[in-house]
This record gives sequence, structure tokens and C-alpha cells, in this order.
Amino acid sequence: MGEFVTVAGMDEIEAGEMRAFDVRGIEVAVANVDGAFHAFDDTCTHAGCSLAGGDLEESTVICPCHGSEFDVRSGEVLQGPAREDLATYETRVEGGSLKVEG
Amino acid sequence: MPETFVIVGAGLAGGTAATTLRQNGFDGRVILIGAERYPPYERPPLSKEYLRGESSFEKALLQPPGFYGENGIELHSEVRATRIDIQEKAVELESGEYVAYDKLLFAAGVKNRHVPTPGSDLDGVYDLRTVADCEHIRREISPGRKAVVVGMGFIGSEVAASLRLSGVEVTAVDRNKVPLRRVLGEEVGRVIEGMHRDHGTELVFEDTVATFEGAGRIEGVTTKAGRRLECDFVVVALGVEPATEPLTGTGVKIDNGVVVDEYCRTDVEGIYAAGDVANHYHPVFGRHIRVEHWQNALKHGQAAARSMLGDGRPYQEIPWFWSDQYEHNLQYAGFHRDWDELVVRGSMEKRSFVAFYRKDERVLAAVAFDRGRDLRRSVPLIKAQERFEAARLRDPDVDLRTLVAETDKA
Repeated sequence: MGEFVTVAGMDEIEAGEMRAFDVRGIEVAVANVDGAFHAFDDTCTHAGCSLAGGDLEESTVICPCHGSEFDVRSGEVLQGPAREDLATYETRVEGGSLKVEG
Repeated sequence: MPETFVIVGAGLAGGTAATTLRQNGFDGRVILIGAERYPPYERPPLSKEYLRGESSFEKALLQPPGFYGENGIELHSEVRATRIDIQEKAVELESGEYVAYDKLLFAAGVKNRHVPTPGSDLDGVYDLRTVADCEHIRREISPGRKAVVVGMGFIGSEVAASLRLSGVEVTAVDRNKVPLRRVLGEEVGRVIEGMHRDHGTELVFEDTVATFEGAGRIEGVTTKAGRRLECDFVVVALGVEPATEPLTGTGVKIDNGVVVDEYCRTDVEGIYAAGDVANHYHPVFGRHIRVEHWQNALKHGQAAARSMLGDGRPYQEIPWFWSDQYEHNLQYAGFHRDWDELVVRGSMEKRSFVAFYRKDERVLAAVAFDRGRDLRRSVPLIKAQERFEAARLRDPDVDLRTLVAETDKA
């Protein structure tokens, strides 16, 4: 388990929204699903598009380029063309800050 | 006796149908017949990342090669079906053998259109449909070589972009005024044209290739207008036609492909069609449409399998596809032939927009240039078949997701 890196204030990502951050050289997206933060690789496993630029529907992120769908909680592919799951990362809220495992 | 379902065509639609039959508990025989050497695979990478040598073929396979055997799917590769005998309920193979069926899914796809042109049989003149075709072209690619691309539809445009990205000097020839004119119209076509020119692709419009020339191997082409273009190789991309031959004379209705209803059924009991070859009735558009794209092959294949199992639902997926060219992502959703107004949100000049093809104020289709999120949010507008104000469609401050809900309330 890596250290936790502060990426934003806990109020900066509203419910139903996503944002991407550089966490020690890796683009990591954080989604707010009903107040719970889920962090995952921002880079789609299919063709490398930024998932934070797509839509978040409940706990599903949809790639803006080719429509692959992933469960943000587990990183699991729900719909192709992607075949590989996303890596996911632990998140933590401490003292008003949102932290992601780095 | 267990039932036997035979699928003619082991592309994405056929492969997905076979998979869906098993996933839905079908325990009869599933026979999947394909003309190519490989198990079902996806074709989009063949004009893009696979052509550029950036991805492996394994990544394009629909299922791992062992999947078919493990799931009791009898996959016959490199086998061509030549005729369907609807009286005997059997598929005749090139070898003269017959394969009997209880139900048949025809998913033979499309074949490339060939325009008879002197010299088209010279070495170094290619077209692109299969992974084998793609590998031939790959061997020609190296920086500084010269290529002519004939036809600037989606395949031609993507191939031109991939070749340029690989350092090839590209000249593309198309008989229209702009690339992709037939599907996207002139206004959007101009944007695509600008993108290709900015990447150094030479474009020749309102002209066609009259002859391919060379001594055994291609050395250049001469166009109808008399231009001489020297080249090391050629890729011809003049569109496709449905591969319906095995059904000729059977009584199965053929009209721009195999005509099926919204349940993938032909007018002959027990024969279904899906994917690129199927001209299917679409309840949203109120007409038959034939769609030659990845998503349709996948979803239509699934729909046909469910229909064969007696669990069919009307197929009303909104057609959608993407086309990656250079660093740009184009997407289109819907279906339109003619329109009376193109409403643009964003900037065509900056190449960041979604444009709506409207007829009688209804959105028939949308195309997006590096605006995938907006495109996805436009699909409900197409499904709704309602009138939307042009000003609201145009206004970047209006969330497209709220428009359908607004008209519901009104």
C-alpha cells in the first residue's frame, strides 16, 4: 500500500462528477458517487482516452471516445470495446482533504 | 433430437450471436461458418491502431481462440458457404458438402466494392476488409514512401490518416467535393478536409482513378482529369456491398441486403439475418436501415440470437459509430439521409463541435468532432423524435441531458 496523496478539497468534486489528477505521474480519476469517492486509472484501457472527460452515470463511467463502460468501484469492464479492467486506488478523506493512494 | 442453429458468417455479428446463444442456455448444436482463417474479430483496428502496428491482433479477437471449443460452438474457419437450400434446410459449402440447419442466421457481412479499372490487378494495389488485407498494407508502410488512397469515405479517411501518422506521403482521390460527403454532408466534410490538409495529406477531389500503371507492380495512377500521381502502393476504399449471394434465388427478400423485421426475421420461416448484411426495420426511424458499424454488428448479433431462441425484443438501438483520424475522435449517432438544417453547437473552425442533422425540427442524427460526451448526450434527443428549438441545441450553457425532460413537461 502506497502513501496517500492529497489531490483536492473534499468539496471540490460534487456528487455525480469526476475529475482527473496527476498522482505521482499517473493520471487518476476520482468519481463522487453519492458522496463516496472512487479512484481509478483515468486512462481508458482500450485506446487511452481520458475517462474523466466522459460521463458518470451512477457508478458507471463511460469513455467519451469509444463508449467503453467501467464500474468505478471495482474497475471492471461492463461494456466493450475495452477488454481490460481499470486499476483502482484507495481514497480517504482527512481534515477536509481528499487523498488518493499513490 | 437437439436443434441445430447454423450461423453463416464468423464476423462480429455471427460470433456475438453464437456467444449469446450459449449465454442464454441454448443446448443444441451451434455451427459457425466463416470464410476467414481466424475466429471472429473486430475490424475497427484494421484501419487504425493495428494498421499502424500499435496493437496486437489478439486484442481484436472477440473471444479467446479456445472459447468456441470450450462452449461447444463448432467453428468452421476458411469455409465458404455458397448457397442456402431452403427446401432441404441446408447450407451448401464450397466443398460441395451440406450442413443441415433447423434455424439459420445469415451474417455474411459485406464485401468491398470493385470498380473495374485497368491495372487494378497490379502488385501493390490493395483494398482493406480482412486482417490479411491489413497485413499486406502494413508491409508497404515506411516513412517517405508514397501512397495513393482511392475514396475518402470512412475507411479511406482512416487509412489516409494512419498512413500519414506512419510517415507515408499520401495523396487521396475522391469523386466528391469533400471527404465523407455522402454520410456527413458538405459542411462537416469541409472540416474533415481541413484536418487532412493540416496533416499534410494531399487531396484531389471531383476526380477518379482512370488507370493504375506499372510494369507488374504499381508505379503510379492517372486520373480521369489527367493528373499523374506517382506512388509505391495504392489502397482502394470505394465502399461495400452486402454479401447476399448464397441467398440468391431462394425467395428470401433481398433489397439493399437481406430484408428483416425488427426481430431479425427474414420473410422465410427459420431464416434470420444480422449485422452489416441485414436491412432491418427500425421502429424509431419508421423504415428499413442497413448499418455497417461495430456497435450494430454486436447488438444486432445479440438480438438475432435472442430472437432465434424465441425471446426476441424489437431491435431499436440507435446506430452509433466512431472514427479516429490523426489525434481526433469523430462520432456519429442516428440515421439521416436528407435534412433541412444543420444546427451546430461549438465551433467548426476550432474543430470542436457537435452538429445536429434536423428535419422538420426533429433531430435525426448528430455528429461530433472531439465532443464524445455531447454526442452521447444527444442520443436521447434522437430517440425522442420530438421538436427541439435550434437555439437550445446551439446554446453551450444548455445541458443536452435536460432537453428531453423539458419537452416531456411542455
